[in-house]
Formats: sequence, C-alpha cells, structure tokens
Amino acid sequence: MTVDFEPRLTRDWDDPGVIGIDGYAAKGGYEALGRAVTMADADILELVKSSGLRGRGGAGFPTGMKWGFVPRDTGKPTYVVVNFDESEPGTCNNRELVERDPHRLLEGAAIAALAIGCETIYIYVRGEYLWQSIVLERAIAEAYGSGRFGADALGSGKRIDVVLHRGAGAYICGEETALLSSLEGYRGQPRLRPPFPAVEGLFASPTVINNVETLMNVPDILVRGSDWFRELGTEKSPGTKMVTISGKVERPGNYEVPLGTPFRVVLEDLAGGVLSGRGLKAWTPGGSSTPMLTAEHTDVHLDYESLAEAGSMLGTAAIMVMDETDCVVDCAQRMVRFYAHESCGKCTPCREGSWWATRVLERIEEGDGRDEDLPVVRDLGKNLLFRAFCALADGTASVINSSLQHFRDEFEEHVRLGGCPLKVDHLEEVPA
Amino acid sequence: MTVFEGALRADADAIMARYPDDRRRSAIMPLLYLAQSVDGWITRDALREIGQLLGITTAEVEAVASFYTMYRLRPTGTHVVNVCTNLACKLRGAEAVFEAAHEAAGVEHGAEMSEDGLFTVHEEECLGVCDFAPAVQIDFCNHDTVDPARMRELVAGLRAGEVPSPARGPAFASFKAASRALAGLEEVPSA
Amino acid sequence: MARPAAPGITLTIDDREVTVPKGTLIIRAAEQLGIEIPRFCDHPYLAPIGACRQCYVQVEGQGKLQTSCTSTVAPGMVVRTQNTSEAAREAQVANLEFLLLNHPLDCPICDRGGECPLQDQALAFGPGESRFVDAKRVFPKPVPMSPLVALDRERCVLCARCTRFCDEISGDRFLELFARSAGERVSIAAGEDFRSPFSGNTIQICPVGALTATPYRFVARPFDLTSGDSVCQHCSAGCNVRVDVRRDEVVRVLARENPEVNDAWICDKGRFAFRHADAPARITTPLIRDRGLEPASFGEVLTWVAERCAGARVAFLTGGRLTDEDYYAMSKFARTVARTNDLDHRRAFHGGLAELVAAAGATDRETSVTYADVERAKVILVAGLDTEQEVPILHLRIRKAAARGARVVVVHPRRTRLHDVAEHILVRPGQEVSVLDRIREGVDDGSPEARIAASIRDAGDSAVILAGERLAEHPLAADVALAVAAKTGARFGFVTRRANDRGALSTGVHPDLLPGGRRLDHAEERAEVEAVWGPITASEAGRNAHEILEACAERAVDVLFVIGADPLRDHPDAALVRRALANVGTLVVHSLELGDLEPFASAFLPASAAIERDGHLTDWEGRWQRIRPVRGALGISRPDWEIFCGLAAAMGADLGFETLDEIRREMASLLMPRSVGERPNVWAGAGAPQWIDDLTVFTYPMLVDEGRLSDRADELKAALEEPAFAEMHPVDAEKKGLSDGATVRLATERGDVLVPLRVTEHVAAGSVFLPFNQPGVAANTLLSGRSTAAVRVEAAEPVGSADVPAEAAEAAEAEEATA
Repeated sequence: MTVDFEPRLTRDWDDPGVIGIDGYAAKGGYEALGRAVTMADADILELVKSSGLRGRGGAGFPTGMKWGFVPRDTGKPTYVVVNFDESEPGTCNNRELVERDPHRLLEGAAIAALAIGCETIYIYVRGEYLWQSIVLERAIAEAYGSGRFGADALGSGKRIDVVLHRGAGAYICGEETALLSSLEGYRGQPRLRPPFPAVEGLFASPTVINNVETLMNVPDILVRGSDWFRELGTEKSPGTKMVTISGKVERPGNYEVPLGTPFRVVLEDLAGGVLSGRGLKAWTPGGSSTPMLTAEHTDVHLDYESLAEAGSMLGTAAIMVMDETDCVVDCAQRMVRFYAHESCGKCTPCREGSWWATRVLERIEEGDGRDEDLPVVRDLGKNLLFRAFCALADGTASVINSSLQHFRDEFEEHVRLGGCPLKVDHLEEVPA
Repeated sequence: MTVFEGALRADADAIMARYPDDRRRSAIMPLLYLAQSVDGWITRDALREIGQLLGITTAEVEAVASFYTMYRLRPTGTHVVNVCTNLACKLRGAEAVFEAAHEAAGVEHGAEMSEDGLFTVHEEECLGVCDFAPAVQIDFCNHDTVDPARMRELVAGLRAGEVPSPARGPAFASFKAASRALAGLEEVPSA
Repeated sequence: MARPAAPGITLTIDDREVTVPKGTLIIRAAEQLGIEIPRFCDHPYLAPIGACRQCYVQVEGQGKLQTSCTSTVAPGMVVRTQNTSEAAREAQVANLEFLLLNHPLDCPICDRGGECPLQDQALAFGPGESRFVDAKRVFPKPVPMSPLVALDRERCVLCARCTRFCDEISGDRFLELFARSAGERVSIAAGEDFRSPFSGNTIQICPVGALTATPYRFVARPFDLTSGDSVCQHCSAGCNVRVDVRRDEVVRVLARENPEVNDAWICDKGRFAFRHADAPARITTPLIRDRGLEPASFGEVLTWVAERCAGARVAFLTGGRLTDEDYYAMSKFARTVARTNDLDHRRAFHGGLAELVAAAGATDRETSVTYADVERAKVILVAGLDTEQEVPILHLRIRKAAARGARVVVVHPRRTRLHDVAEHILVRPGQEVSVLDRIREGVDDGSPEARIAASIRDAGDSAVILAGERLAEHPLAADVALAVAAKTGARFGFVTRRANDRGALSTGVHPDLLPGGRRLDHAEERAEVEAVWGPITASEAGRNAHEILEACAERAVDVLFVIGADPLRDHPDAALVRRALANVGTLVVHSLELGDLEPFASAFLPASAAIERDGHLTDWEGRWQRIRPVRGALGISRPDWEIFCGLAAAMGADLGFETLDEIRREMASLLMPRSVGERPNVWAGAGAPQWIDDLTVFTYPMLVDEGRLSDRADELKAALEEPAFAEMHPVDAEKKGLSDGATVRLATERGDVLVPLRVTEHVAAGSVFLPFNQPGVAANTLLSGRSTAAVRVEAAEPVGSADVPAEAAEAAEAEEATA
C-alpha cells in the first residue's frame, strides 16, 4: 500500500539546480517572499495560523500561534532563530533538506521574520553539519547578492539580515533556551521559564525559534494558501512530514509522507521492509527520546495524536528499526549512554540518574547484572520522568520505561544467564 | 597578544563584528574555532586572549570551551576521526568500525592521539547521517556507509598524505583547516 | 525603609494559610509558616535556578511536581510539601538518593560535618544504605582554588551557589562550571586563582563540604565552638558577624544575615583576619617604663599617669576602632578632666560641612544614606572612594543596584573594580573638586559631567552621592558633593573608612567638635553639652592630629595618649611621628600590644579586644549596632572607657558614670540626630585646579595590607596581598623613560622609596598611586600630613643588584683576567 501525493518539501530533490538561487527562482522560488514583503505582518501571521502548521522539531506546537505570542510593542528588536541543531538520534531530514534546497529554508525564515517585524535572523547550525552550513553560507551570499536580503529586501524598504552561528557538539543545544544560551556565548544549559523566549528570548528580546522543516513549509503556504496545505495530513496534523527511517531496513533514508500515514507504509513501501527479511522487534517512532514500540504497533498512524494514543510520540519522526537479532538491553544501554553523555549537568536527576542508569545497564549487558538491579532500573525510569529541569531526562526515561515495559523478560534473562542471550551461541541455564 | 595578532586579529575582529556591539560575547564560539585552527587545539594562551578580546575572565572562556565536544583543549592529532556508534549506526555495525579506526590509527582507547601525532579517534553521538550508517567524519567531512575495511583504507590513505574525498562537499586537509571553516572563514572555492 | 504595602497574596501550604507579597517564591512563603522545604541550590540572595530539584512540592491542579524555589505564589494556591504529600516526599527521597550516589563517606573528616544540610537531610529521610554498587567517580582532592579556598570535587553537589555568587554578587568570575554531564565541575582557569576579596562567602553558602576554608580546615567541630554575635571591626561597613571561639581562641568568623546592612555577606578580611587579638605580642597587663616595662598593677600605673597629667599639657590621638562608649568617655575626659581640646581620631582630613553633618548624625533627607537607599538608587555617584578596597560590602550593594539598572559613576584618580558596571572619570587627586563643581553647576556642554548632572537631576531623591573621607582632605571637596545633593535633592553620604570613625566623630573625638557635631566655638551648641558635662574650661582651640604631632615634636605637649592607634604605621607623615614620639614628655599607650611604640612608651595600659567588649559601633550610614563580648577579656585588659574612669578617679575627678548603661543614658541625650542649624556658607566656586607639581603621589590602604589588624592572617595575605607596587599612566611613564616592571624611586620632600612600577592607563595621568601600607614599602614615609604629595619618579636599580660592592666586583674581574 502506498500513498500517492504531490510532494512538497521534496518536490525539487531531483533538481540539483535549485541549490543555486537562479535554479531556485526558476522553479518559483522567492515568489512567496515577494508576496510577503508587500503584506501586512498580521496577514502573514493569520495565513500561517489558519494553515494549522505545527512545529516539526518534536514539540508539535502550532507555528502561527507561536509567532503570535511575540509582543510588538516592547521597543526591543524581535528575532527569528532557526534551530538547525538537529541532533536527535535517528534524525537527519533537516540535513538533507538543506543540502538539496537551502534557499527554501532562507525564504521561509525571511517570511517568519516579516511576520514578526524581525530584521536579523540567526541560524544556529550544529557544528558537525560543516558542509551543510557552507551550503547555507553560499546561499545566503546569493540571497544578498540578488537583493532579496539586506537593508532593502526586494526594494521593499524592509531589512532582512542573516547571521549564521555554528554549534560545537551538544545535543542539549537543540532545546530552545539552551540554544539561546549557547548563541549568547554561554554554556548551553537550559534556562528557567518564565520568561518565555517569545517575550524574552535572544538578547532578552522577543524571539521565535523554529525548526528547519517547519520553516520550509512556509513559502508554499504563502503561495498556495492554507486550504491547499490542509489537503494532506489529518485535521489536527495537517501537511506532510519528513520521516527518517534507519537501522535494520533495506532502504534507510529521508522520506516525505502526509501526516497520518501508517508506519507499515513507511517501513515496507518506502524503506523496503526489515533488512534481510527478518522480523521486526522494536522501533522508535520519533528518535530515541520517544518510547519504543513493537511489531504490535506496525499499523499505527504517524501523526501526533495517534502516536500519543499508542503510548509514544511523533517527535522528529526519526524511526530506528531493530530486528529479532538485536538485543534490546544492548540498544537501551547505548541510548541511555547517549543521554548521560549529552546531559548538560545542571540538574541532579539527569546528571546522576543517567550516569547511574548507564553503569547498571552496561553491567547487565556484560553479564554482571544482579537481581537488585532491575528494581533500580525501574525506579530510575520513574524518577527521571518529569523530574528534571528539561525534557532531556524524559528522553532517558522513555528508553528505560518502554524497553522495560515491552521487553522485561529480556532484562531478566540477562540477569539469570549472566550474559546476553543473543550473543551466546549455546546457552547454559544457571539454576535459579 | 601572542595568538590573536596580525591577520588573526583581523579575523577575530571580523568575527566579533557579526554580532551586536553590546553582545560580542556571542562571538566566543567562532573565536574558539579560530583559535583551534591555529594549533589544532585551544591553548591556555588562546583561552586567555579570547577572554581579553571579549572582556571576560579566562575561566568564563574555559567554561564555555569545555562544555562542547568539538573544541579540543588538549593536543590533538592532525586528523580527527569521528565514528558514530549511536543506535542507527550501531545497528549497522559501527562498533566494529570504531575498533578498526583505533587499530588502524594506532590510538589506544583513552589516549588523546596516536604516538605519531597524526590521528585522534573519537566515539561520536548521532552525526545526522543515519541514512548512510555507519557514519564517519574525518575532520568533519562526511564518509558514508563505512565498514571496517573502508575505515582501514581511509586511515591508510591519510597516513600516505592523501586526503580522501568525502561523500558530500569538499575535503578539508586537516582538523585545523576544518576548524577555520567552522569559524566561518571558509576558504573552499565557491561551487 | 517603610513603604505602603502592596496587597498580598494568600495561599495555603500544608493546610495553613499565609499571605505574602506578590512575587514571593513558594519556598520563602513556606519559611514564613516555619515550614522548611529541603533545598541546596536555592539561596535567598541569589536568583532562583531550579538545579538541585530537591525542593519539590505538589501544587493542586498541576500534574507535575513543582520546584518551590522557582515558582511564585498565586492567589488561592494550594501547596503540599513533603509533610503532607507522599508524591513530594518520594520525589525528595529519590533526589537525595541521586545526590548521595557519588557523595563520599567523608563525614568523619569533613569540616562541614555537624552543620551540613546534606547530612541533615540524609539523616532525616534518606535511605540508610546506598543501592549504588558500581564505582564512584573519584578525583584528586582537595584542589586549591586560592590560598584561602580549597575544593573537594567528590563532595560537590553542583548546586552552583558558588559560581552564581561570583557572577551575580561579586562579579569576580573566577569560579566557573567546566565541562558537562557527570564530568561537570567547579573550577578555576589554570593560572587564574580565585582571587576575590569576597571568596570566603562561597565557602559559607556551599551546602556541603566541597568548598572549605584553609584557615579552618580540620580545626574544629561545631560542638566545640562557642559563638557570639558581633559586628566586624575592619571597616565602616558594619557587617554583622558571628565569631566562633574554641577554648578561648577565635577560630572562625562567619557572616550573619542582615538585609539592612550586609545582606548575607562579609569580605575576606572580615572573615579571615581574626588572629591579631590572640597574637603572641598581645600584652594583657599594665606596664611602666620606670620598671623597665615590667608588669604593674592598674592602680600603680594609673596613679603614675595621673601625676603626670595634673596641670600638664595633654593631647589624645586615637584610631577609628573603639566603641562609641569608649570615644564618649575619651571626649568627656579630654575636655573635663584633662582640660584640653587636643584630641583627634582622624589622620588627614580637614573637616568642612560634610564632616559636620555626619557628626551631627543629621537625618535630613539629603544628608543621610542607608544601604537600602543605595540598593534602590537609580543613580549613584561615588567620589574619592575605592569601595572594593575600602568598604567592600558597600561595593557589593552598589553592584546590586547596578544589576537593577542603576547608573553608577565613579570620580577617582584610579579605576576601581566597579569598572564593569560604572563609568569612571579618572581625575588627578585634588581635581575631583572641579569635576564635582561642574556637576553642581549643572553644565550643559555634552561632557560627562553634564550627562551625570542631568541623570542626578532626573533621579531626584533616587540619586545617591557617596563621598569618601579622602575627598574632605582637599579643601571642601566633600562639601561640593554635599552641595550637589542639596541642589538636586539627591541623598548624600559621607563615607568614613574605619569601623567606628563615625562614632568617634559623633562623640566629639575632634578638636573643634563636641558630641553631636556641636561646635566648640558656637556658644549655644557648647552650652547644650555643658548642661550635661558641666563647664568646659579648655579655652584654647583644639589641634588636629597633625598639629598635635607637631606640638609634641616641639615639646609643646607634656603627655600624649595614643589609644588604639599605630601612628608610626598609620599617620601620613612617618618622619613627624618619629620626632613627636621621641620628643614628647610622656607617652601613654592604650592598646593590645606595643609593637613599634615600645621604644617610646612611658606607660602601657592593656585594652581589651573588640571581641571582648560590650558597646556600640556606628557604621558609615550612622547606624548604631551593638557588639557583645564573645569571650572574656584576656588577662586584666579593660575597655578604654573603664580606663578613663579609673584615670579620672586617680586624678581626683569623676567622669560621672561607672557602668556602660550609665554612659549610654548620658550619651543618648547628646547623640540624638540633629539638624545642622544655620549652615556656614562655604562654597562660592572651586576656581582653577591647583596643580601641586608635575606628578602627585596619592595613597589609600588596600583591603589586605600590613595593617596591624591583619597580623597573622597568613592565608588571607597569601591570597589577597600583593607584593609592593606603584602605578603610573603610560603618558607619564613614557616621558620619564620608565617601563612596566622597572624598579623606580619615588621621592618627596620627606623621603624616598624603591618600588616596582606598573604602567597602566587605569590611573589618572599626572598621578602616581602607591598603596598605603605594603610589605616593605611604607607610603607614610613619603607624606607630610595628607594622603597626597608632590613626587619625583626616576628609574632605580632593583634592590639586590647593588648587593655586590663595586670594589669586590672589580677585584673578581681582575682575578679572572689573570687566571
């Protein structure tokens, strides 16, 4: 079963010409910006609101509403910050989107800037995306050179400036307030809210922070309208979503699908099914921070509401597939180690709890697990959830809780056998 | 100033000018990359001078520098080999690639670099190339779907003085060169 | 301080109602009900951070638990703490488990043991045994952050109180958090020690034994200590302290919270310079020269002194560290028993209206400033004062005001550590008066003075002007500052430096002023005092400190009392002091020790130390604060007021009081704050600045120096005392061909010193800064009565290179040539 639809974000992926501004313009690029500079800020806002576009970075917050929170009367400048820190394990759609269509991002960001009266856009790109950031730098130069950006964008009298800022290797900087902290030259630790970034964000000024994919939806909405946007997806989750699927599949990659597409379609039709025809064991719907699901959930629809009902989240729609030969304890241990490494260190539960969890899970996987370890792991899952300063620890908890929930026997087996059952050829049962 | 003088001072000034006058502190991240491009790692002198440029203490600079994994605060190999072993890559055999990297480069586990000073090997978290796992970066240039044999090939090539072509974009000759590009002072000719 | 209260917010915590101001945090509201919610990172004087996650509470209507340290109250809120909410309690226990995970079992050897919040909470409801069976993270320990502060990383719970203190309060950002995740650590940058005059506060606020004080390491347990509340005697800030004594020896000083004075802070000098009263050189019995400075009884010595005072010319020199009661007794004794007006506590300043107003304790709107006024000010002008070095806690308060948006301007010959929050106008010493005069005039020429004048005018009584006592040295400079206030409605504070200079001033330890700032030569004001004291028959106008010393040198004084002072070190004219002490007939010393005065003293009367006294100190605001004895007086030492009573009796007179209460009752009537009646018309314009000479040397004491009160504070000096230096502007250095680091000779008409030079643009051109009392370099040997003097500066050979005599060097060369 496949779904036929008119691609939107990936529409020009087969045309390397759109990477350059002339190729992009030839395909209708910057027409939306041309319209936006003549519109009233409030009208741009309304349009995006009515489209129902939701943030694609994981939180799913309605984008137009987010823009609407920005006060325009503080006397301070407003800012658009593009969150290109994409670091959620399993996620790489932003990367490919920018590699293939950099101008679309710039155009979307510029329209967002016009909607909130912003004159300087900051793009925060993760350091490891060096090539992609260079692609952006070149596109930015072209945009300035062609008069679309600068002091007098498209002759409108409005200023549109862009500053590209690179991160240096910290997953936590994908969290909005940590990103702002990093951008301001401080350690990338999240900040207290309130005040909220919309009111006091970058440089203590009203700020909107948007994901790359979110912004790349905006030009089409300007040109084609919100009704068109709503033709795909579901009522509560309109539009398309980039899905990254990786791990044990035949064709890992970034695919665009309408929101609400069943996972089965992505797995089998787009990604070619589980690698070597093996059985599906477990999969993350939205990156390692979302509770993992099992083969039982193959028919779940990929949208915000359906996944929440299934006990997980859409997140960044980064699907990592594990098959029957993969040890869930081993995978869980590796994912938890990620959180321990990326913890900013500010708050007690995340810093200590993820470190403890790593130690225990490593030990269980290596065969030194004890009976007392399982209650500890269970408690860690409970004591990390909603107990930390930010949601990073919730990601850790998701891994622990969902792996225990669906694969408890595998954990117990490790302890009982004194080793990983999937790594041992011939198993000898240790008497209880 | 001993690090940021002459042309490098001009580079530093250009970097600071990207940000508002009263928010120069934002320049600390690209300045750290610039410092890294000089010696291949960020020296004490560089930390202190960045503090002087920005009007903050050395401790404040080091606090930021030590927070991020892409800043090296100890002597580093000419080439930095980053191997992702997070889940998507692990599922496609990244751990063996990581081992192969250590062996081929001659870097002991826990050591900063190989004895010949050529290589530093890092285990990395998700590099955002899950579609071409296992993902490897050499001096932040991408090499896709790397297996142990390919890993050994890449290292051998570097040892022989050949910079391998990345899967995407141009190659940077060294970690220093990549750091300079990370500072926003790209010297790769336009496409 | 009182303001009309805004309507409060009423909420319920653990089923009890409380009403608090809007914006109050739940954790503070709970404290008002006596409910203590456990916490580590929260501190009432630091911005909330929500890092430790210990303070969880349940708020009705909220699904997730809330951290009470970051949540503000809302009307009708229903809060349940660990006392009435199982969920909150469980979360706290779980969090404690996380905190204890990596915490070492150091309690038996940890300084914090017995007064440790982590220990208390673990004992209250933590698990008895750890579930953690893996290897803890271990680190080398302790790691010195400075000679005063040591860090134990294993104990640190990363609450960030220390780094936040450095960032938010002191601005000395040497302590920072490095790295991240489980490797996160508090650290200094290598080679950049934690050298801050406020570093000790981080030790006190550290909720575990991670930051410890080297002077207190392994010294005592809380149950060993007896403690007493007192007020710090190192400067006029008036910081409230708690003094901890073990077997009669002071082992530690902590800050005591007082939001009206020092918030929760003290400086490192107040915290770590506490050993002088226990120095081996302390003398606790009277001594008499006739007996070869052997111990004698009070009766004997008082009789001996009394004989010499009868009908003689007597003078009194004192410092600024005695109590109000001591000074009052001195003032009365001088006038009514010794019949002289020759008494002074000051070193160098000239008086004027500002001093008069301070002496009167006037609380007219424009003539008094409190800490609260500084904190709330919108504009602060500081002149003639280096707050960080001279009155540190005032420095912190100014920073607090700046953090709230206050505009701060400093007029001073040298840049101060307020430079990151304040505009500095560097002026040659003596030139402050013309800058202030231009501000007073309200010039309108786009200059910095014009802008400052405009800000002060706009701020009205939210503007504060602080004049250091050095400003009064230059004719009437402080008065010009006062005139600025009078004209604009700003508030004016005359900031004296030593702990009780204000008390000495207000009780009339002054040649021209009687208690309450009443002028000796003003019949009505004098009569007010005579109504209480009886007739003041001393007819000749009094001599100030400098004049007293000159008179002694000329043998015009028979008996000189030096009380709680060290003029050889402290008076700005060492040569004069030496002559004076040599030539005066009789020298009577009241002090803790004799020190450099030994060769000159005829008699010694042992004074009790500040921590052994009962009495009041008056801080720079004019606030009286009670000190109480923390331990008994050592030996037979006595407070100075008692000595004066005894001396009066030995002279057949009666001072009119025998107890502290009696002194206080008598003082009270004379020391009520009074307006300074008709003010002398003192200002008609500054005229052109007076250049003294090509270069002017100016001096003031650094916070930590060779002053007597810092004796034996070795760790403090290792941390904060710098080797001797002088500072000069590049423009002047170039003219004289002097380079940074060179050894120079500073020469005035009085003497010369050799000192290494620092060339810096942070000192006014035309001036040379030489700290007052440095190791090996006594600035007062250069001075003639003021803290400034004309100076010549030239290159000199570094001390040590001239060690080899010229002939010997030649001979050595000759030998080599022939070898």
